[in-house]
Amino acid sequence: MTAAIESTDARRIRSAPVSSVSLRGRERRRTVVLGIVAWVVGLIFFGPIVWMLLTSLHSESNAATNPPSLFAPLTLSSYANFFGASSGASPWPPLINSAMMSIGSTLLVLVLSIPAAYALAIRPVKKWSDVLFFFLTTKMLPMVAGLLPLYLIAKTLGLLDTVGLMVILYTAMNLPIAVWMMRSFFAEVPLEVIEAAQVDGAGLLLTFRRIIIPLASPGIIATALICFIFSWNELLFASVLTSTTSYTAPVFLTSFVTSEGLFLSKVCAASIAISLPVLVAGFAAQDKLVQGLSLGAIK
Amino acid sequence: MSSTAMGAARDSGAPPRSPRQQRGGLARAQRARNRNAFFLIIPSIVLLAVVIGYPIVSAIVMAFQKDAGLDAATGFFVQGGFAGISNFTHWLLQQCPTSDGGTTSCPPGNLGAQFWSSTFTTFFFTVVTVICETVFGFWMAIIMNRAFHGRSLVRTAILVPWAIPTAVTAKLWFFIFSVAGIVNSLFATKILWTSDDWPARIAIIIIDVWKTTPFMALLILAGLQLIPEEVYEAARVDGATTWKSFWTITLPLVRPALLVAVLFRILDALRMYDLPAIFGGGDATATWSVLVVQQMRQGPNAASALSTIVFVFIFLVAFLFVRFLGANVVQTTQAQQKGELK
Repeated sequence: MTAAIESTDARRIRSAPVSSVSLRGRERRRTVVLGIVAWVVGLIFFGPIVWMLLTSLHSESNAATNPPSLFAPLTLSSYANFFGASSGASPWPPLINSAMMSIGSTLLVLVLSIPAAYALAIRPVKKWSDVLFFFLTTKMLPMVAGLLPLYLIAKTLGLLDTVGLMVILYTAMNLPIAVWMMRSFFAEVPLEVIEAAQVDGAGLLLTFRRIIIPLASPGIIATALICFIFSWNELLFASVLTSTTSYTAPVFLTSFVTSEGLFLSKVCAASIAISLPVLVAGFAAQDKLVQGLSLGAIK
Repeated sequence: MSSTAMGAARDSGAPPRSPRQQRGGLARAQRARNRNAFFLIIPSIVLLAVVIGYPIVSAIVMAFQKDAGLDAATGFFVQGGFAGISNFTHWLLQQCPTSDGGTTSCPPGNLGAQFWSSTFTTFFFTVVTVICETVFGFWMAIIMNRAFHGRSLVRTAILVPWAIPTAVTAKLWFFIFSVAGIVNSLFATKILWTSDDWPARIAIIIIDVWKTTPFMALLILAGLQLIPEEVYEAARVDGATTWKSFWTITLPLVRPALLVAVLFRILDALRMYDLPAIFGGGDATATWSVLVVQQMRQGPNAASALSTIVFVFIFLVAFLFVRFLGANVVQTTQAQQKGELK
């Protein structure tokens, strides 16, 4: 699939406009300028990432030099330290907690938001714009203001410090953007495809499985990925509503930064280690991100 | 792919039926659809109403209560009680209670006096970061949509800034921006990025743009997938330049996804907390949410009033955004629906 896309892209590049020589020259100059700008911005953007990666791979004394010593010998000792070789606390329980919360809430968001977005995009709902705006209003209160009431409810229900509570909260946190985002993608699915399926007697479930989900898959994958990332690095709710049994990776990381804050290499190693699951998810998703809707469906 | 074209295609494809039979069948189908749609949406609404609606209501109720504390008029400790709108005037008009029972302008240094400056800070951050993130995000998405060696690596690496919790990002950049840090030594300057007003604001904007651009890029990249390659080829045959096909093809077709991304980015930027709170900058970088947290320690009811005010402001921003910029999205969907109901 990727190969196919790359070949169409290559075709696009080869079939550049040949209408006039002066136009071609201007286009080429512009391409060169844009290429340089791309590299500069790319360096500014990726520079800090490279700095973090190098710092995490350097020994603490080499990491502390300024300007950073780029060619110092590399070592994995900071990572070893993070995973508990020398200090007592193991990062695995919070990593597992975070994984359960992020995956659980992302799945729940998909289950809830795909039908809702479908109804709002394709099926006529009276006052649907009010419903959409209602989804927005849940994103308008400062997060801290919601913390106290939620803490009290969770305490009453005995849900404090449980993975389930965080799954529900993260689901609610991500549901509005998921519904809005999916709705904008579902609205692009041609109606005649859906109608054709219904004329052929496909039920709601079959329509979802065979038509909506395959056609809108880039949107669904992107939405799932952002929900996963938002839950993965949420700190405020987790730091207040979880403690010893269900504390999350960001909570662990901030306590790690507080205790090891002056040790730059350890902090960088911990940050990169904690972002690894997101990178794995991103790498797994990026292939699917570009398949998706081929409008050949309506031909 | 206009709705008329789709309507025409549908008319030609539909099997011939008698008009009455068609009307009755469609009406019944539409009723069934409305009922179905209700059941499809209601779980999401219930969840949000319980989990997020309740805190909103509770904040509004608390906003009308007095905070426990020393009564300015009598000097005695009071438990609170109904406050009327005094919590709101405290923020909006900077009115503090006085010893004779009336109110006066809050002295400088009081949190109430910071409301309008924090409003400016919040809007300044929001406008600048969202514009930068949209421009850079769009541009990254277009680059990532092209074929080049190492594309999958770039697409994955781009997620790094976003994947690290903001609290840690702020800490790492604190090192980069410190007085003897990399930025100052790179440009041979001695700027106090973490404490001077404007340098701290600029630093926070840079960090936020660095951190959140991947979010925009990812959503725009997904939006770009909806544009069929044939459209660009047709434009190229007609002699359109890259720039022109961006304005006439890419932008209009990505618009629905782009608007949603920008809208939610605005909502999040208006509630920015972690970055200014941890990075520093003091009052110059105190956003609404920072002010809420500071007030929370002094009196939760006044903090709730501030949260309610923030809620109303953000509500207005979102309403105007949806009303004026989102109008087109609404229309296309409605046109689609009309086409279906016809």
